[in-house]
Amino acid sequence: MRRHKQWPLRPLAYSFCSSSAETVTNSTVAFPLKHVTKSNFETTLNDLRSLVKAADFVAIDLEMTGVTSAPWRDSLEFDRYDVRYLKVKDSAEKFAVVQFGVCPFRWDSHTQSFVSHPHNFFVFPRQELTFDPPAHEFLCQTTSIDFLAKYQFDFNTCIHEGISYLSRRQEEDASKRLEMLYGEEGIDSTVETEDLKLVRLSDVLFAERMKKMINEWRSGLLHSGNASSESPRISNGSTQSTETVFYHMRPALSLKGFTSHQLRVIKLVVGKHFGDLVYIHSNDKNSYSQDFVVYTDSEYDKENLMKEAKDERKRVGERKIQYAIGFRQVIDLLSSEKKLIVGHNCFLDIAHVYSKFLGPLPSTAEKFVASINNHFPYIVDTKILLNVNPVLHQRMKKSSTSLSSAFSLLCPQIEFSSRSSVSFPQQHVKIEVEVDNVRSSNWNAGGKHEAGYDAFMTGCIFAQACNHLGFDFKQHSQSDHLAQNEKLDKYINRLYLSWTRGDIINLRTGHSNADNWRVSKFKYGNIVLIWNFPRKLKAREIKECICKAFGSASVTSVYHVDDSAVFVMFKNSELVWDFLTLKQQLESSDGPVSVLHPLSKILEGGNTGAADYEAYKEICSSHISKIVFSDQAETVGVKSRTRPDPQGETERKEENTVVVTPTASDLIDTFLANRVEAKAG
Amino acid sequence: MQRRFLSSLSSSAGNTKTLNQAKWSVKQVKKSNFHLTLDEIRTSIDSSEFIALSLQNTGSYAAAWHRVSSIDTPQTSYLKAKYAAERYQILQFSLCPFSLHDSKLIAHPYNFHLFPRDELKLGMPSYSFSCQASRLTSMAREGFDFNTCIYEGISYLSRAQESASKFLSGNPILADPITVSSSSSPATVADTVFVGRIRSRVKNWRQSCIESRSKTGDDDLVSCLRRLVLGSEQYGSRLCLTIDVCSERQVQLILEMMTEFSDDVVPLLVASKSKGTQAVRAVFMGSKKDKDLFKRELQDIENEENRRVRGFREVVDLISSSQKPVVSQNYLSDFTLIHAKFLGPLPSNVDDFNSSLSSAFPNIVDLSQLMKEISPLSNISNLPTAMSSLNRFFAPVDVEVANQGCPVKSNEVHQSHGQNAVMLSQLFAKLRTIQKSDLSTLQSNEDCQGLASDNENVKVWSKNNRRVSSENLVFIWGLMKKMTASKLKNVLQTSHPVFAQEFDVKYLDKSCAIVVFWESGLSETFINVVNNEEKLDGSLREMVAEGLRASGYETYKRACRLGFWEAELADSLDKSLESSDMDLDLDTEASEIDWSSEFAINFDEL
Repeated sequence: MRRHKQWPLRPLAYSFCSSSAETVTNSTVAFPLKHVTKSNFETTLNDLRSLVKAADFVAIDLEMTGVTSAPWRDSLEFDRYDVRYLKVKDSAEKFAVVQFGVCPFRWDSHTQSFVSHPHNFFVFPRQELTFDPPAHEFLCQTTSIDFLAKYQFDFNTCIHEGISYLSRRQEEDASKRLEMLYGEEGIDSTVETEDLKLVRLSDVLFAERMKKMINEWRSGLLHSGNASSESPRISNGSTQSTETVFYHMRPALSLKGFTSHQLRVIKLVVGKHFGDLVYIHSNDKNSYSQDFVVYTDSEYDKENLMKEAKDERKRVGERKIQYAIGFRQVIDLLSSEKKLIVGHNCFLDIAHVYSKFLGPLPSTAEKFVASINNHFPYIVDTKILLNVNPVLHQRMKKSSTSLSSAFSLLCPQIEFSSRSSVSFPQQHVKIEVEVDNVRSSNWNAGGKHEAGYDAFMTGCIFAQACNHLGFDFKQHSQSDHLAQNEKLDKYINRLYLSWTRGDIINLRTGHSNADNWRVSKFKYGNIVLIWNFPRKLKAREIKECICKAFGSASVTSVYHVDDSAVFVMFKNSELVWDFLTLKQQLESSDGPVSVLHPLSKILEGGNTGAADYEAYKEICSSHISKIVFSDQAETVGVKSRTRPDPQGETERKEENTVVVTPTASDLIDTFLANRVEAKAG
Repeated sequence: MQRRFLSSLSSSAGNTKTLNQAKWSVKQVKKSNFHLTLDEIRTSIDSSEFIALSLQNTGSYAAAWHRVSSIDTPQTSYLKAKYAAERYQILQFSLCPFSLHDSKLIAHPYNFHLFPRDELKLGMPSYSFSCQASRLTSMAREGFDFNTCIYEGISYLSRAQESASKFLSGNPILADPITVSSSSSPATVADTVFVGRIRSRVKNWRQSCIESRSKTGDDDLVSCLRRLVLGSEQYGSRLCLTIDVCSERQVQLILEMMTEFSDDVVPLLVASKSKGTQAVRAVFMGSKKDKDLFKRELQDIENEENRRVRGFREVVDLISSSQKPVVSQNYLSDFTLIHAKFLGPLPSNVDDFNSSLSSAFPNIVDLSQLMKEISPLSNISNLPTAMSSLNRFFAPVDVEVANQGCPVKSNEVHQSHGQNAVMLSQLFAKLRTIQKSDLSTLQSNEDCQGLASDNENVKVWSKNNRRVSSENLVFIWGLMKKMTASKLKNVLQTSHPVFAQEFDVKYLDKSCAIVVFWESGLSETFINVVNNEEKLDGSLREMVAEGLRASGYETYKRACRLGFWEAELADSLDKSLESSDMDLDLDTEASEIDWSSEFAINFDEL
């Protein structure tokens, strides 16, 4: 979505940057950016905690492996807000986040400037937990990967060194599984041995030898009191070895170099023949596994030992889960500090944050809104700010509001900080960058477009925008929460659901549904979706065909979903019903009438499907993503009900009519005014 | 250098560990050196007897049950492989053309880095692909260089995509002569008028072209003016006329009409952005010779364009056209991928796949099959282990890497990519020496028979397998968690009289188990009982009340066919049952499958 739109602009900005980089390579340093990977994550997280606590706001930006899982999943002209949400949901569920930029900004009253701390986290959904493996898979959009490559994204660092994570839901599930594994009774251990039967001759022989060896060790232990610590190697030339050690204050035989199958045999032998010996398998925190045969004094002692061993395994498991949470700790930090989160056209970003770090995305936009507020109470989208606020909109001089162009327009002093000769008027906010306790205000703006840098740009735009809105940071005290400032109030928690359509989603709860949206008022009940018609037919021809059958004014417009499908917008919803009925009639009769009928051109081939708008929503909600829309429609299986239920139709229409209430209307009016203005210009 | 590799290998062939370390120098091929290497590859292939290949993919299966297992019929195995092949991507294609001379193996190993870059901006070769995170992680552990792959990987188009792209690339193409000859539907009045108008336009233009040719004395200004007046343009150095069209019908009419001027006018088709013809461009030829020259030029341009677009597929075409036996580690997964990426979309059933594939690759040696014949207990998925398992046979193989001008870089890890194909060729050589069979048994298409959907012909892959008809299998799911196979077997034994006879239970994934009845007819009885409330009683009734469901093999087959690839088999079977009423089952015949405990998924691994 966003990355898509920025495409043509980024290379421009990039080429400019790189050329400026060449001229000043020696005089300035590269942009200071804190790169965070697995190895320095823990230490960085500790530092970041205090930085976020002290921050006035935190800017974020994400890089993903893709945006749309099929061309038709892109934002289309006729996407209703709920369909749009389904498309964003699909994107967030299918693609992976590979980089996460976090940049806390703090107003420093001494230097009269903002201090920013850009962090660039490499993230990769590595599976850290072996006992909880829902095989994780993600999609890569070829063009997006190519785009990342164009900006020298380091895939090796990402995959080799990226920080892994668990969402809150995944953590809960993992804990539950752990509970199950080491829970109440220890059935698991007994059942496992039952499964194994000694059939192969080699196993029988091995078991016999082990029995003898263990017996010797045990009797040595009991009779001499101090068994020789080094028992003889039991197999010539192999790596197998045993050694007397202590396990939880008890004498034990540590087993090394055996195969897992052999260990199972040993376990079986111990269980069968030695009442006072216990087989223990333990993992230390580096998941280095160790196996012991432990001697116990009594039944009571044996139970104790089993319990101790189980508790230990559980502790190790818990530690592993804690470690596996990984990057989510950053999200938890942002959430618990309730800081103002700043993003640029960030609805998709927020959806990714939700699905990766909180839990599965809710099925509807309404549920999403109801839930996201609990985790991130204040979000501001700089793209909304720049487009909806009249002052800023004017300042943008109708140029693109993409991240890089907004940055160079609003914050030239930062972009060209290397060229100190150019002086900028006082109204520009001064921003410094601090990384690893080194502060700099002079750097080479050229460099890679990494998530950390993009987050920094977003934050700069926000700071500058606040300045233009008449925000005086000098008077503004630390205790004031930026998010509660009335000047920003209109824009907080409003995100673009679809930038191209101008649909805005309001994340504030406590409003009625209708109030949560600013959506265009299409009559979705008047739309028919047609797919699998002969490929060579163009929108114009389809319109002609239908007009011949239903009158020249019957169709308002025809719009391509992709090559294989179109939306036909009828004048009214009765025509939708008429069209679908007629189609069915024509298909059921094979007479000459149907061949000569104007619609026969569309129905040629006999595979043409048609359905109302709700079917489109159903198709979008499927987790399948076929590249061609008609394939998708067939796979989802809406073909069987090309005939809408007229009763349900009217009911649904009622539901989906959006009433724009006065409370939201001021925002919308400004917005619309701006849009008209932009169009005129 | 090569000698050293050789000696170190043959002396230590017995030890798995050293074998692992033995590294041959493999030529790494990327975007930058691809075209330069092509001729060398061609020579290597031509001079070799066999070609071994091995692929490095972004994934293999998303859920435990998606993996091809012993309970699969050829058709379900194929559908599973197809599902994987369509989603995952090949990142490395290692190729090793080789020849055998007694115990000497002469290898020409190459390793190609691939990336499906969208060179034409048409969403080809692939719009997106899936990655298995765990697969990428383990590749990273082995030192895989993702940057090289993505930045410098060679792109490609499949045969099907190439023909689709031809028109879309924007270059005008020669009208297909076949379409010209096929005179279609009768002309309407509108057609006649249209043709007449275009004819006179072409005539006038042609006349002026002939005149301008004779009047070579014109200065530039005059000829320029003339062109302006006549609305004539130039195509290269030749004069041309562009006629816009609104439909394919008009294209047809114009082409038919143009045959009248075929001596000195050549029609070209200009594509529009949305897959149709936008215009017909008539190009004026100075002479017959000029015409031939022009056609050759066009052909050259097209060939060059195709070559650029085809990318790595050029190599696949070389392998295919060489008709040499191709040795692969896993016939099904490798060749479904190769078919999907380089030939065209995978057909929906295994027979069509086999015939489509054999037209491109007539001789495929499935090494795992060959391995099974000689050493039934070995597992080929781990090549070094497979190799060492053959040590009890005396079959020395000396490997000589014969690649010319191999760049040996200091970066050893990097250089090591593509070892698998060499190992495959080595393994193959060993197996052949052991088998000492003549070539015919290897080369025939018998390996494909293992995959024919003809049910009676399913091979027994392993000697200790018992064959069982799919009719005697029952899938059961909706079980309590924390149930092991043996526990479940105990529970079932007491639940109903059908379990008095011999039967087996295996988990396929954590959600679903399979019951094997060794006596036919019992499976049906069991399913009937579970689905009939009146007949239910005792503990079985209780289990059903707790959610137990049971269904026959056809439900599983349907799930695979309709593409219900849910993460848990239980969900897929549920979906499959739901859809059964609206979907007529076509293939209900029973199939024999091999039952082997070693193939069943170990519950501990889940």
